[in-house]
Amino acid sequence: MREGFRQELKDLKAEVLAIGRLCTEQTTLSVQALVEGDVELAQRVIDGDDAIDHRTLALEEATLEVMATQFPVARDLRLLHSLTYVAWHMERMGDLAVNIAKAARRTADRKGPQTLYDLIQAQGNLVHRVLDACIESLDHNDLELALKLQELDEPIDHLYKQFFRELARLQDEDDIEWASNMVMAARYLERIADNAVDIGERVRYMLTGTFEAMPESPIAE
Amino acid sequence: MSDKLPSHVVTPGAGPAYDHGDKFKVEKLDFFYGGFNALTDISVSIKRHAVTAFIGPSGCGKSTFLRCLNRMNDLIPGTRVEGRITLDDHDVYGSGVDPVDLRRRVGMIFQQPNPFPMSIYDNVAYGPKLHGVRKKSELDAIVEESLKRANVWKEVKDILSRGGLTLSGGQQQRLCIARVLAVEPEVLLMDEPCSAIDPTSVQKIEDLMAELKDRITIVIVTHNMQQAARVSDYTAFFLQEVAGEPAHLVEYDRTASLFTTPKDRRTEDYITGRFG
Repeated sequence: MREGFRQELKDLKAEVLAIGRLCTEQTTLSVQALVEGDVELAQRVIDGDDAIDHRTLALEEATLEVMATQFPVARDLRLLHSLTYVAWHMERMGDLAVNIAKAARRTADRKGPQTLYDLIQAQGNLVHRVLDACIESLDHNDLELALKLQELDEPIDHLYKQFFRELARLQDEDDIEWASNMVMAARYLERIADNAVDIGERVRYMLTGTFEAMPESPIAE
Repeated sequence: MSDKLPSHVVTPGAGPAYDHGDKFKVEKLDFFYGGFNALTDISVSIKRHAVTAFIGPSGCGKSTFLRCLNRMNDLIPGTRVEGRITLDDHDVYGSGVDPVDLRRRVGMIFQQPNPFPMSIYDNVAYGPKLHGVRKKSELDAIVEESLKRANVWKEVKDILSRGGLTLSGGQQQRLCIARVLAVEPEVLLMDEPCSAIDPTSVQKIEDLMAELKDRITIVIVTHNMQQAARVSDYTAFFLQEVAGEPAHLVEYDRTASLFTTPKDRRTEDYITGRFG
């Protein structure tokens, strides 16, 4: 009986990790679609989000069933409770990747200054790094790494500010609508990273039983 | 005696809602069956007007410890207690203490219901009569009140003259609880009270525990960890780590804390089913 329960816990955690990897991939592809103006790729990201939504819902249902039937306590309870939260943060990341893909679709036939493309790509790379660290911290119960996510998020926030400095340099002939889409995409990327930091807080709770909100990102909201 | 506990006494993190002070204080208790040291170094305070659950694997000494609280072990030849237990700051094992009077103040419910072979009414009236209540109307009131508090009145009010042993097991157990309540105990010790009865009666007993704690202190030994989590405010985890060695108290905390973030790895492993 308890062996079956242990396997269920492992399976649920593996599913959350799989959803997380899918979200990382969606985020990376959405940035690629934006930078390369690839409408087809953008559409693939948009279509791919349904699977994440369904898997998140199924995971929540399965978690509830295990809670109702197995009476988890202590670290098992904290794991199950945290997995649901983590999965919903990931689902939110998936939605934000879709928003980036939609921006890619809107801007595919337009062109703007290379600096902003470079900034978006750089921000995308940094977000990828945060997401990898976030998933790894959950996978390996790595408290140190979970606590480091806030630090990894900081350059993303700084880069986001950089966007506004670049916007100020735009000339009259530059495409303002295109630029607005880029800023929005940068904002979505910054929010994806914030969700990863939130997941780090959940991992901390899962591992220690203490829940302490990390300091607010300097530019959040 | 000072209210301040010695520093070695484990006190659970107090929840403001249920901290009404200490009913029992146990200091460095060791218990022996003849030459066998069954329990060692138990220091703990049991909160007044709260439900405290004792959990642990079979043979971990939780029932033995429970029986120390009202000197029930005195009835077993060759047993011996070292250390100190106080009830409202008075030594339970003090020379002037009458164990019979102590057991009226600290009533006990056992795993197997044990009604007397007499009517339902007489089962409940027996204690008060023994303590000098003679007036019929007074006894009637005590019987009704006790059966109501034990959540069994509705089922037996029309059959009070019937034998207590004709009731179902779960009803018998609640009759036994009524019998104890009739003598107005301050503490109710329950030794696996629900392990031999039907689920409906279990529910009724769990409900009555929540109602009773406004007036009395309850300590329950249970093998059912879900029950401990449901009914208790505080939980103590006992463990005998090596066969033949004495059992001891591993962790004692508010139930909500112990079942979400136990501090000791052994508690965690036990409550999550990794051993025991």
